[in-house]
Amino acid sequence: MPDRILLIEDDQELGAQIVDNLRKAGFDPTWWRAGRHIEPQQLPGLALVILDLMLPTTYGMDILKELRASGAEVPVLVLSARNDTADKVRALKLGADDYMTKPFWPEELIERVRARMRRPTLQRGDALEVGKLRLDLATRGTHVDGAVVELTRVEFDLLSALARRPGVAVTRGWLVEHVLDPDREGNERTLDVHVSRLRKKLGVAVKVETVWGIGYRLGTEAA
Amino acid sequence: MRLRARLVIATVGVTVPMVVLLMWLDGRARHRAAAYALSEGTLRRLQNPDERARCEAAPATWGRPRRPFAAAGSTAGDGPGPDGTVRDRRPGGHRPPMPFPIGAPPVNYAYDEQLISVNPAAPRLAMADDVRTLEVGAVHVVPRAWYGDDVDVVVRTPWGSGPCAFVLTHGTTTPGFIGALLPASPIWLLPLAAVLIAILIAVGPVVARIRRLTVAVNRSAAHGFADAIPAEGTDEVAELARAFDAAGREVRAQLATKDQREQTLRDFLANTTHDVMIPLTVLQSHLATLREAHAAGAAPDPLVLTAAMAEAHYIGALLHNLAVAAKLDAGEPGMLKSPVDLNALVARVVSRHAPIARQRAIALEHAVPEHPLTAQADVTMLEQAVSNVVYNAIRHNRTGGHVALILEPQADERFRVRVIDDGPGIPPQQLERVAQRGQRGDAARSRAPDGQGLGLDIAHRVARLHGHQLTFAASEFGGLQVDLEGPTASETDPGPDADRDPDPVPAGNPSPPS
Repeated sequence: MPDRILLIEDDQELGAQIVDNLRKAGFDPTWWRAGRHIEPQQLPGLALVILDLMLPTTYGMDILKELRASGAEVPVLVLSARNDTADKVRALKLGADDYMTKPFWPEELIERVRARMRRPTLQRGDALEVGKLRLDLATRGTHVDGAVVELTRVEFDLLSALARRPGVAVTRGWLVEHVLDPDREGNERTLDVHVSRLRKKLGVAVKVETVWGIGYRLGTEAA
Repeated sequence: MRLRARLVIATVGVTVPMVVLLMWLDGRARHRAAAYALSEGTLRRLQNPDERARCEAAPATWGRPRRPFAAAGSTAGDGPGPDGTVRDRRPGGHRPPMPFPIGAPPVNYAYDEQLISVNPAAPRLAMADDVRTLEVGAVHVVPRAWYGDDVDVVVRTPWGSGPCAFVLTHGTTTPGFIGALLPASPIWLLPLAAVLIAILIAVGPVVARIRRLTVAVNRSAAHGFADAIPAEGTDEVAELARAFDAAGREVRAQLATKDQREQTLRDFLANTTHDVMIPLTVLQSHLATLREAHAAGAAPDPLVLTAAMAEAHYIGALLHNLAVAAKLDAGEPGMLKSPVDLNALVARVVSRHAPIARQRAIALEHAVPEHPLTAQADVTMLEQAVSNVVYNAIRHNRTGGHVALILEPQADERFRVRVIDDGPGIPPQQLERVAQRGQRGDAARSRAPDGQGLGLDIAHRVARLHGHQLTFAASEFGGLQVDLEGPTASETDPGPDADRDPDPVPAGNPSPPS
């Protein structure tokens, strides 16, 4: 079932475009063309609110304030044409989760919406699961697609460091400092060797991607 | 009311009652003296052994002055008992005219016990009860409402009966300026006049200077307070003039500031319009090309589409930059510092430019630490500064290039935002100049020949205003490496971003395929 998103935007053209883009991205948008308070019974099933601050009848901040005062925790993404620090600081203090300033690309909006709704990494007890990869932190066991993969200590530490934040690039510097054995002289070259070995062991189901200028990340396409 | 008139009225208002009081006191004193002299003289006359017989012989005519005076006569005056009787005894009663005015000679009127006089000239006696109860030889001074020059005393004769039981003596005080009212000599007028003249002399120049000051202030005001207001002397009027001058200078300064602001605003508007018109024209041209291609039935040229998008993106960035430039021109007051979640800031910058980077097939990568870093900053300015550096790296890169944005904690509670690219970079001899940009006030507003433009200038100015370091170097990948470093905010002061952000790792990474 697609995530329901409430859009409060008074501009007809912009509102229609946003609705169109959200729908294409697989969301279920509801569009309010005028600002009014969000009633508690409208909240269940609502995954996100996109709120324009400059509305003709009601000031967007008031809607946000009322919403948070009623105890609702639905994420709110604020849209503002005024790139004004005071507005941003105030919106965040009132409980907005993120803001975007106009103009923006449709892709940018969709990405920000997805970022707001991204589920946290599944971590049950001592286990980390990313797609087909499963790491048992207590026993230091690794499974790919159910099959056991034997990893060295450094390889396991490297993989779990990446798996803690799947899809996020981690710098080589950080990995050298936190993963490689400090007793042995580790450098970025050593790291690359470890990664190379790790990739061979994991096969095609789990991707350790090289990120240009930064380091490595665990691919999430399979997730 | 005019100052001079006010002074005159005040002077007269104080002086006149005082003069009246003094005149009243003076009149009373002279009246008393005259009454004493008249009663003494009359009593002495009545003590003459033959005076009773003389009076009772002719009560209708007794008591007139024996001999007319050459002058007005004298009763009250200096010297003991200068009454008619005494004078009468003097040999050669004819006296030379006195050099000063003297009163009329005393006249006596005889009354019987019923206070009735046979003398037709005798005035009727009021206050009969007071008089009738007089002891023998006692004196009653006829009271008067106002001290004029007339003085009357009633004496009960030593014998106290018959047609001459009472004697009324009428005399005058020394006549003065207005009858007996004012002192004999008008010398008292002198200090009064002197005081008035002194006041007018003292006030005259002050009034004149105040008038000149009024004229000067009016003239200065008529010319927008451009003329100075002259201040002469060291007194209060001069102080007032100086105060006016200072106020005028303040007004001039305010007007100048206001003019300056208006000029800045007009320049800003003109420059903004100019800066936006150029990319807008380019965008229109791209759109027209696409429309023509469509009309001709051809597929839209992806290159033109990308260029049109890039132009639209440029206009957006430009407008944000112009707004930040306006705030920067205001200096500190334009800045609103708050704790800024740098991880979230990096995520926003990346998502803003990711679409355009994708269009140009440039990989835009980023990395943030697991625990968000916070810095005290104006979030709009700092975000725009980072955004400019990133956009600069994208704009000047080539298709298939790379740009990476890395936020990392440094030692001593500092952060570093590093932007690296593998674009053409900047020749070493020009790096210095780019690094120095922003030290100069004159920003290259539009697309400067070297392609750095307004964006990097703003990055420089934002960094300087925040006390951050912005350094340029050649990157190991052949392009540019730009570092922005500054202090992080303390952990005990979580920002509004940190307050609300439940996810410590914001904005995962739907990055373009590399």
